[in-house]
Amino acid sequence: MPWLLIIGIVVVIALVIIYYINQIQVLSNQIENSWAQIEVQLQRRAELIPNLVNVVKGYAKHEKEVFENVTKARAAMMQATGRAEKIRASDQLSTALKSLFAVVENYPELKANQNFLALQEELTNTENKIAYARQFYNDAVLRYNNMITTIPGVWFAGGRKPKEYLEAPKGETAPPKVEF
Amino acid sequence: MKVNIYEFTEKNKRDSYLLILFFFLALIFIAWLIGEIFAPDLSLLLVIFAFLYCSFDTLISYFYGDKIVLASVRARKANPQNPKEKMLIDVVEELSLAAGIKKMPQVYIMPGSDINAFATGRDPENSSVCVTEGALYNLNRSELSGVIGHEITHIRNYDVRIMTLIATLIGVIGLLSYMLVNSLAFGGGRRKEEEGEGWLILVAFLIALVTPIVSGIAQAMLSRRREFLADMGSADLTKNPEGLASALEKIKEMNEGKLNVSESVSHLFFTDPNKSPLDELFATHPPLDERIKVLRSL
Repeated sequence: MPWLLIIGIVVVIALVIIYYINQIQVLSNQIENSWAQIEVQLQRRAELIPNLVNVVKGYAKHEKEVFENVTKARAAMMQATGRAEKIRASDQLSTALKSLFAVVENYPELKANQNFLALQEELTNTENKIAYARQFYNDAVLRYNNMITTIPGVWFAGGRKPKEYLEAPKGETAPPKVEF
Repeated sequence: MKVNIYEFTEKNKRDSYLLILFFFLALIFIAWLIGEIFAPDLSLLLVIFAFLYCSFDTLISYFYGDKIVLASVRARKANPQNPKEKMLIDVVEELSLAAGIKKMPQVYIMPGSDINAFATGRDPENSSVCVTEGALYNLNRSELSGVIGHEITHIRNYDVRIMTLIATLIGVIGLLSYMLVNSLAFGGGRRKEEEGEGWLILVAFLIALVTPIVSGIAQAMLSRRREFLADMGSADLTKNPEGLASALEKIKEMNEGKLNVSESVSHLFFTDPNKSPLDELFATHPPLDERIKVLRSL
């Protein structure tokens, strides 16, 4: 009888340990997955921009400065390394795109162009996906950090360090959603 | 709020199993009652039959409930070639990402000029979102995001499973108690004097009358709480409660309550599809003004 009891206790303890080790890994995977999502969208946006610039150029030749800003910001983003730096470069590109779409307001013919409208929707979509994936990334980091810094998770964390959040742009609490 | 959502999801999953259990017991009880009253020798057979019937019905509604509901409102798949429908697909994709749903729901469109929407499915990976043509053409991107955020919250919280089950199960309970009342009214009198079991018939009659009413009220109460939670969830996902509030304003101004859907699926919808001067008790949705007020106070 005492043997059964001991075996039972050992099994329960083993299950608890397995649960927490798995849970920490699951949360960590969530963070990595949402980062992968962000990278996919950054890449997609970079691919869309040359098309957009070409279409807009056809109607608004004289807005050189706006095009240059977008192209520069895009190049900077392509060269950025590390998560924080990539996100900062991405926010600058978003700002440049916003001023490009603001300029478009002055060209009614452009706003009626089907090609342009499709690109506008695509870019809005990628911008929002980046913003939402960042939101989810930060939520996942919060859950992960809570798990590995509070009891009982901390006992199973094996000295893992809390992960860093992706910062929101200055003066805003959440990553911006857009409607170009 | 954050932490509560995860607990709430677990509770919803538990509730959906309890609901199935309750449904089984209720139907088997009704079958037994019918047996006791009309054919005591066959009552065991009837119970077995009821059990098999329920299992079949529950399985069907678990695996095909979404398809049945979508077919019943004549929904069709959204077409990415159409710019408006492409935008809708994009919005659904964005908000699934925000909610951390791995496989985005399928997107459907149903006929009707009223602004409305619903979600269905058995779990987040097997779900669908459906909006009316009215919603597609009258709402702008941020209003649409608010509405879809509401539906995505239903999906993430496993509301869809419980709501789709309720939609099909309530239909069956209603049908059975209707049958019971009818058969009592036409054939119940004969045995009463012979066996002195008048009380049984009375009890059966009362249960048959009361069950649909009680289940209707319970369903409405649970549904209203879910609707509020889904509004909060949407605001939390989009970080833009004004989008949803403004969509609700448009609904208040424009909807005529002429969406042609049956009572059993009405509680799935974003806002009550059938405007009726029905008792507050049975309303499956909180009043629009209240929803708008709460969203604007966030």
